[in-house]
Parts: sequence; structure tokens; C-alpha cells
Amino acid sequence: MAAMAIHSVYALFKDDPEARNWLAFFRRHGCSRLNNLVIERVFWLEGDISLEKLTSLLVNPLYQVHAESSQLDPASGPIVEIAYRPAVTDPETPSILAGARALGETGLEFARLSKRYQFVGLEAQEARKVAARFLYNKIVERVREPGECFVTLRPTGDPDPVTTVSLRGLRDEDLASLSKERSWYAPLSQMKAIQAHEMAIRRPHTDAEIEIIAQTWSDHCYHTTWKSLGLLKQLAGATERIRHPLVVSVFKDNAGGMEFYEDWVVTIKGETHNFPSSIAPFGGVATKHGGVIRDTLGFGKGAYPIGGTTIMGTMDPRLSESQVPAGALHPQLIVTESIRATSYYTNPMGIPMMHPVYRIHPGYAKCLALGHSMGLIPKRYALKDAPRPGDVALLIGGETGRDGIHGATASSTGMTGETLEKESAAVQIGHPITERRFTTAIPVLRDRECIRTITDLGAGGISCAAGEMGAATGVALELDAVPLKDRSLTAWEILLSESQERMLICVPPEKLDESKEILGRYEVNCAVIGHFTSSHRLEATWRGAKVVNMEMDFLWESCPIDPVAAAKPSRPLKPAQIPQPKTQTEWSGAINRLLSHYHCTDQSPAGSRFDTTVQGRTTIGPYGGRNHRMPTNIAVSAPLHGKSYGVITTVALNPFYGEIDPATMARLMIIEAITKAVVAGADYREMVLCDNFYTPRVQPDVAWNLKAMVAEISDFSEKIGVPFISGKDSSSGTFESRGRRIDVPPTLAVAALGRVPDVKKIVTKEFKRTGNRLALVGFQDATALGGTVYADCHGQRGERLFDKYDAGSIHRLWETLLALHKQHRYVSGSAVAEGGVFLRVFEAAFGSGLGAKVQLPPEADARYDGFLFGEFTGSVLLEIPADSKLDGDVPIAMLGEVTPDAQIVLEAGGSTLWRDSLSNLSTIWSQNFREVME
Amino acid sequence: MSQAEVAILYAPGTNCHEETAAAIGLAGGTSELVLLRDLLDGRTRLGDFRAAVIPGGFAYGDHLGAGRIFGTMLAACLRDQLTEFLEARKPLLGVCNGFQVLADSGILSARTPGKRSMALLENQSGHFEDRKIRLVVSDEPSMWTDGLAGQVLEMPVGHGEGRPLFCETSPAGSGRATLRYCDAHGRPTERYPENPNGAPGGVAGIADETGMILGLMPHPERAALPAHYSQDGLKLFKNLVKWLRGR
Repeated sequence: MAAMAIHSVYALFKDDPEARNWLAFFRRHGCSRLNNLVIERVFWLEGDISLEKLTSLLVNPLYQVHAESSQLDPASGPIVEIAYRPAVTDPETPSILAGARALGETGLEFARLSKRYQFVGLEAQEARKVAARFLYNKIVERVREPGECFVTLRPTGDPDPVTTVSLRGLRDEDLASLSKERSWYAPLSQMKAIQAHEMAIRRPHTDAEIEIIAQTWSDHCYHTTWKSLGLLKQLAGATERIRHPLVVSVFKDNAGGMEFYEDWVVTIKGETHNFPSSIAPFGGVATKHGGVIRDTLGFGKGAYPIGGTTIMGTMDPRLSESQVPAGALHPQLIVTESIRATSYYTNPMGIPMMHPVYRIHPGYAKCLALGHSMGLIPKRYALKDAPRPGDVALLIGGETGRDGIHGATASSTGMTGETLEKESAAVQIGHPITERRFTTAIPVLRDRECIRTITDLGAGGISCAAGEMGAATGVALELDAVPLKDRSLTAWEILLSESQERMLICVPPEKLDESKEILGRYEVNCAVIGHFTSSHRLEATWRGAKVVNMEMDFLWESCPIDPVAAAKPSRPLKPAQIPQPKTQTEWSGAINRLLSHYHCTDQSPAGSRFDTTVQGRTTIGPYGGRNHRMPTNIAVSAPLHGKSYGVITTVALNPFYGEIDPATMARLMIIEAITKAVVAGADYREMVLCDNFYTPRVQPDVAWNLKAMVAEISDFSEKIGVPFISGKDSSSGTFESRGRRIDVPPTLAVAALGRVPDVKKIVTKEFKRTGNRLALVGFQDATALGGTVYADCHGQRGERLFDKYDAGSIHRLWETLLALHKQHRYVSGSAVAEGGVFLRVFEAAFGSGLGAKVQLPPEADARYDGFLFGEFTGSVLLEIPADSKLDGDVPIAMLGEVTPDAQIVLEAGGSTLWRDSLSNLSTIWSQNFREVME
Repeated sequence: MSQAEVAILYAPGTNCHEETAAAIGLAGGTSELVLLRDLLDGRTRLGDFRAAVIPGGFAYGDHLGAGRIFGTMLAACLRDQLTEFLEARKPLLGVCNGFQVLADSGILSARTPGKRSMALLENQSGHFEDRKIRLVVSDEPSMWTDGLAGQVLEMPVGHGEGRPLFCETSPAGSGRATLRYCDAHGRPTERYPENPNGAPGGVAGIADETGMILGLMPHPERAALPAHYSQDGLKLFKNLVKWLRGR
């Protein structure tokens, strides 16, 4: 087709907060000479059109000025223009074409956008460097050179042909270097298995076949480390033995499911996206959310997402540039970009953010980027059916592009200083509107019986989704049918692309027309990309040739699992030696440091950028109290509109504890997550758990830690009868730079998901009434300061964790709490965790506007600071009416009372140790995180 | 003719339609979720309903501007149905992204589809704001806020573009400011974060000259059900049902 006329519209905002934000951002990140930043948007329009007709679609003259040529004066500063690559379609293109048709402009053939950034005060080269670092992803976007003209706007480009790769006769060292060079990251044993397979089938593999094998066998997809250590079986075994009556679906599906009320099921899944988030935090974190949400959509025959979390672990964002290892991004950039990404993705998805959590540890050079998704599905659709030969493989959602190729294999390995450059193609690009479209449509398809089974396309793309879905039958794919946003993709790239926002549905053939009609009404793109067979083979054709033809058995049953050795690590731990505060000034110093510690500080400046009330289901979001800023530590929603039934979720993770004793940490995380919900009034017998492990690249000491953690949680969950129903492990938390290896601390995030019959009976944290009395219920140990925030404030880790609860004693505590809750014996309550009893007193006061007089009991005599700041995980702070008494088969220490004056007073033995006003304390508490974000 | 009284119009990216239906239901009304695509393809007609609500979300990904594509479709492809609806003085509510649609399509504040008289600009903070805010109801007449003048209502906001800008030459001027962000004492405020977006005069909601069309940034449907922290938003939907039943 001949190229047509290309028109352009240049638009400037009269007032541009986006430009202002970027200006401030760049200045913070080293561009002190940048005086101003101007952003000009350009619309490129191809066709025989009347520009005048389209103007109202493209610009709003109330707040924009526009012209047919640039309004920027090149003399004012260098201009960097960023556009999508010629092979790639802009996400807005379909909207522009649809809008033009609505306005009666039928001559518009194609449209593109670009953005021109003018950096006033910078040299041209510096401006390009800044743009390359922050403003575009070179996999899909590029800089348009000045004077460059479009010949056509329509996507152009040609794919490479399919090639074969023979491993015949290659020696071990050649196999190893080939594996690395091609970004397969397959260990030698796997390379040899592929080599042997080549002999067996008497032909070299195609590139597509080897890529599929490497991806399928990657640790990310096949969990080779965990399988080798027998961990998956161990944890699943414990869950099986619990035989929990409410559990509907365990481990096998994309999420776990627990029975809710009235024939509904609630689901949970947590997924880490550590590798992409470490090298490109905006794209990595956005697609972290997109991916885990699709796990909910891919549960059973399609669950609807009703809540989520974002949990980020980084190095301290306040480090100086020189303290950040070479090749790693600065943690402040990771944190702020992750916040922008969460806002960018989860808000348009219309999913309430229930737990935004930010943590630090010096080992998180390769960051922790975890997200959960909770879902809701009718019970009759909670289990998948198996595909049948003749069923249709229907791909829905976004088009397939060059983004995210080798994500599965690259994220299975450690990260080095060079990874940032080499594997940036592995980071996907997220477009929430595409995912939102099918989020609305999937429940409709499901309820019309159009879905036999469904799964998301994540790591490994079509290859993984179709391969898994068709593992028991066989599947034949026609790759020419896959809609592409990049014309230059070759067969293996189409198979492996991790382009976001795609799902694969197995549709009974008689339901195909109806499915297409529904998807059309919801404006969701779909394509039949193949069908399920009885061949027990994975087959694919492309451009008239068979490019994949492999036995499913080889793919799924032949992965060599290398033995993993385990050896007890030596832990060079030293007891915490912290001087006890004695004077008012020393107490103030200690308390101010604690309140401004990253783990205790007010993180609502991040959380208030995420929608917490969309869907109209939220009863308690992440912040509550009188001023809606008190951290609640629980989330409660009423998912069935108009019904009082509630879903309660909590999360727990603690990188400091993991450093001291991984197994005890793991148990404490279970206790913390459950106790947070129990003190609010939720029954632990109606609760399930989700585990997310993040550990360094495996070596003997790491394997030891993993085994110890999994043994502990398997045993403990069985003893308390609360099962793990879903989880994920990432065994690649290692960053290597200039000969230095930085390992993440053994990390386990535990999320609890429970149900409550009536959301109105949930007890919240903030104080309720002056004169009420405070009690610490449960064990305490003022000398166990290991792993506490308090110790970290002194630059120490310590060597002994608080560790007083076993299954029997925590069980007694939970039973006591449930009995007290039933009798309305306490009016506010919270679980002790990071920051100790003191942080809970402060938060409860802050959330109510009331004060507290804390009278330290005799139990605190060992050391007052340890009693106040020790982290007695499992114990709780309760507020009880003045005339009521607590009893039960658990330790109870009375701690003073709620006071009308907005201050906190600490007393011991009749004398005042310290006092300060809530307004002072809240100012200190509010600063740290706000500063990180500025 | 639909059995339901209220059409809840939704498009790809709209994400508050189900809770809006729940709130209308609790207020005693009946509603139907109507896909914009079904209106465009002629499977449903706006005229089949006695009232309409455009709920919040990010319709069409907010491509080219918040509410732009939805607003363009409405004003260009459905102009006859829309004009008929407006001339019949049927109640119309736009919440958050729905307000942006009403503004971008020209329905608010001047009732001139295809000709814009106001816009909702990016928040002064430059980012999305999720907050629980207070609104004070003005005494400007509007069916939606009938009998609520002077009351302080509590409900959430969640938006990135909510700062109203009015066309200086529009005959409707700045419409009827029926709702304003206010402080704890009920005084309209421009102070952040009580006023989450920097709206001049604290304006959070605008009615047209007939009082039948209301656009507001805060979400009444998220403060409506017993499980919500506030049920103040239900009052707007109750007024709708009162009006529907009064006819």
C-alpha cells in the first residue's frame, strides 16, 4: 500500500504538573543544572484527513495550546523526542482510530504519538543520557533524530528465519558457554539432556524448541532448587494432612482457594518479580501487579480480583550514591519508581490496594518485589476441567511483542553488575487498560460456560501456558495466528515473549462463536491460535513450516534435577549491646529513632497514591482511625455487596529476623500474620496461608536455611491446623558486582487470608475511650532484642530472637482472644510486631487523638526499653473498659490507661520516665518516608 | 424497554459500575449495567431508562485525556439519544471518571454535547490521591442534593485529575457548585489534603442549570453500604429514587 500524507499536531499544556514532577525528579537524581523541563506531545496522523475535525479528540484548548509544527524554541535547550519503534504499535493507536471514526473521520489510516522533552539548562548529551535512563524502554521505544521523517506510520519490520541449533559433539565447556551466550542459563546437566535428546530424535532442535526447553526447565518455572530439596512435597504434605474443611484448591492452580460463604470461594496468590524490578523498577513493578492479578483471573475457570498487596524490600534509600554497589540501581529510585508503578497499574485495574509495605535490608541489592492478589469466584467454577482433544486454544488480550523475552531464564539466575545492560529485554511493558478489559469479560465468559480451563501468560509466554495446559493431551499451535504488535518477531520469540496482558483459554468448540461475541462486546481482542490434540506432543507451525514438534513427556518429565548439597551455615552473630535510656533526653532519642525507622514510619505518603476503596468492598483499608492515617495492619473487605461477610488479610515479613535464625523467623511470620487477624476478631480455624520465599542463589548454606525454614513451617502449620494453600519461591536473590557477592537475607513473607461472618464485629486498633485500661496479653521477654527495629536503630542485629511461643501456647492465646472477643471484653487491639508495644501504643493514640499513660509492670524490670521496644510476636495490646477484668490461661500484664490529653507518658515505679505530645511524636513519625519520596 | 430505571453506563476501563448498582439497589432503585458498546451498536437505547449514571474508572485507559474517548463516543455517536435524554430532563450523574466524561463531552457544565465548557485538570500534587474527605453541600438547587444543604458528607476520593477549570466565555459559567471539600468545621477549603486536588474554592461537584445533572469527583457509592466506613453517599442515591418515585 502506498504511503499516505502524514500530518502532525503538537500540543503543550498551559500548566503541566507532569513536567513539574519530572523536573523535580531529575533534579533529585543528579541534574542540578536542569532549570526547566517542557513536554510537548506530538500526534502523527496518516491518511487523507481533515485535521480540524480531529482536533477536539487530540487536544483540549481549555488547557492546551496546539499547532501543526513544534512550539518549542530549539535555542532554549536540547530536545529529546521519544517514540515507539517502527515495528511497534502505540497503545493509544486503537483509541485514536476509534475516536476518529466516532467523529466521522474515516480517512485516518494510522496514528502514532511521540513526546518531546526539552531540557533547559542541560547539554544535549546529558539530556539524552537522562532520557535513556528514565524516560523510555529501548526495547520498544527509541529517540527520533531531529529532521527524521516518517515514510509511513504503519508498523514495519521483518522477522529472522527459524534456525536449527545442533549440540552434537559439543564439549561440556562449549555447552556451558553456549547456554550463557544465548541467555538460556541452563545448567550443564540440562544442556547434556538436550544434547542426548537431539541424538534420540535424530535431528537438531530448532531454535524454538531449545528455547522452550530452557524456559520450561528454568528454576523460575520448574522450581528445580525446591524440587531437588524435596521442599514442595514437604509443604504440600503438611497441608494435605491438615485436611482443612474450608480448603478448596491447593498449590496446583494459579492461586489457592478457600471456601467463603454462600457458595463462593476466596483465593490468594503471591508472586515476586525481583529481577525485572531491580533493573527497571517501573516496568518490573507494574508487571508484578499485572502478573499476579492474572493469576487470580487464571484460578479455576476465572476468579475476579478483589484486593492486592505491594511489598518492596530494598537497600536503605538514604544511602549515598557511593554506598550503592556498582551496577545496582539506587534504592531510592527503586522505591519511588515502584510507587509510581503500583499507582500506574493497580488504580486503573480497579483493585483496592490492601497492604502497601516497604522494608529495608542491606542484602536487598537485588530487591524484593512481591505482590499478592486476592480473588472471588463461585464455588462451582473453582476447579478447572481438563482440555479435551478438539478444544480451541483462544488467546485473549494484548498483542505479542518483543518485551519480556528471556524473563523466565534471566530471572532464574543471579544478578551481576552487567545484567542491567544485557537483560533489559527481559523487562515487560504493562498496559493496565488491556488487562482491565478482560478482567471484566472473563467472569461473563465463565458464567456462560465458555471456559474449560484458563491460565495466564506470564514467564515463558505462549510456550509455557500452552505447554502446561496441553501437557496431558497435546497441543498444536499456529503461530501465524498470534496477533503481533511487533512485525519483526520470529517463531521462538512469539512463543517465548512475555508481553503482558494476555490469557489463554481452552474453549469447547461449540462455545467458540459465543465466546467471540462476548469478547467483542467487551472490546477484548482474541485469536484462535491452535487446538488441543491427543498427540501428547507440543507442536507449532509458522510460515508453512513445523517449527516445534516435541513429546510432552520429554518436556515435562525429563528435566535433570541436580542434587543440591546443604551445609550448616556459620552465623557470626553478636549479642545486642544497647545502653538503656535513663534520662528524658535519652528516652526521647530512643523513641524518636524508633518512630522514624523505615519499618515503623508513616508510609501513607506511598499508600495514599493507591486506590483503597474501589469496588465498594472495603471495610478496613491500610489506614484507619480518626484521621485515616493510622496503619491498620489488617485489611477487611465485604466482597458480596450488601452482605456482612468479610475477608480479612494480613501480611508478615521480617528480613532482620531471617538473618539471625531463618527457621524461627519463619515460624514467627506465621504467628504474626495470624495473630494480627485473630486480635481483630477472626477465627484462626477459618484461615489459610500463602508463602513467598526469597533466598539467595543456591549454595550449601542457602540450601540449609531453605530446608530449615520449610521444615519449620510445614511442621508448625500442621500443628496449628492452619494450612498453606499457595506459594512461590524465588531462589535467585544474589547480586554480584566486582567480585563481591551480596545475598538477600533468608526471606519469607506470610500472608493470612481468613473469613469473618460479620465485618461490623472487627475490633480496630485505635483507642476508643478515656479511662480504659491497657493490657499486654501473652508472653514477653525484655532481653530478647535480636532482630528488632530497636537494635537496628543502634546498628546492631543481635543474636537472639523473641521465641516464646510454640504451637500449644500460641493456640491457647488465640483461643483466649477469641473468647474475649466474643464477650466484647476488649474495645481495641493490635498484635505486637516491629517497633514493639510502644509503636502500637503510639499508633493507637495517633489514630484516636487520645493519649496514654503507660505504667510499666514488674515484668518490665529486666529492662524497660526491652519491654517497650522488644518485638513479642504473638502477644497483643488490648484496651479494656475501665470496669472490666481480663482472665484466661495466658500471661496478662496491665500497662496503664487511655488518657484524654494527646500525649504519651511512660511511668515506672511511680515516677515518670518520659513524656511527649502526640503532635511532636507524629511529626517525627511522619518525616522519614516522606523524605524518601521527595 | 428495560425494566430497570437507571442505566449504569460502562466502557472498557470503567471499574466502579458494580458498587454503583449495589448503592442504587440499597437506596431502593433498580438499575442495569449498560455497555457503551451496546449503545453504540444499537442493542440498547438510552431512552429506555429514566436516569443514567456514568461511574468511575479509567475508561479506554484515559487515552488522550481522562474521559476523552468515552466523551467523544457519547457526544459524537450518541448525540441524538443524549439530546433527547437531556431535553427530557432526566437525572444524570457522573462520578469521578464519569464526571470527567461529562466535562469532556460538554454535558457539564453548559449542557452542550460536543462543545466543552469545563475540564478537570491533573491534581496539584501531580499524582493520584486516595483519601477520605469531607464535603459540604451548598444551597445551590439540585435534585441530587435536595434537602442536604449545609450537611457535611464523608466519602472517599481516588483520582489523578480532579481540579476543575471553567471556560471563561461559557454561558453556564462555573455551573452550580453543589459540593465543596471542607475542613473538620464544615468550611470549604483549598488546603491540601482536605482538598485533595487543589480545586479553586474547594469545588468537588458541579450541577448544571437544571439541577438534574451532577458531576462529582468523590465516590458516593463507596460510602453507601453498611460495610462502608460512612453511608453518607447513599443520600444522593436516595434522592434519585425519591425523584423517580415522585413521578
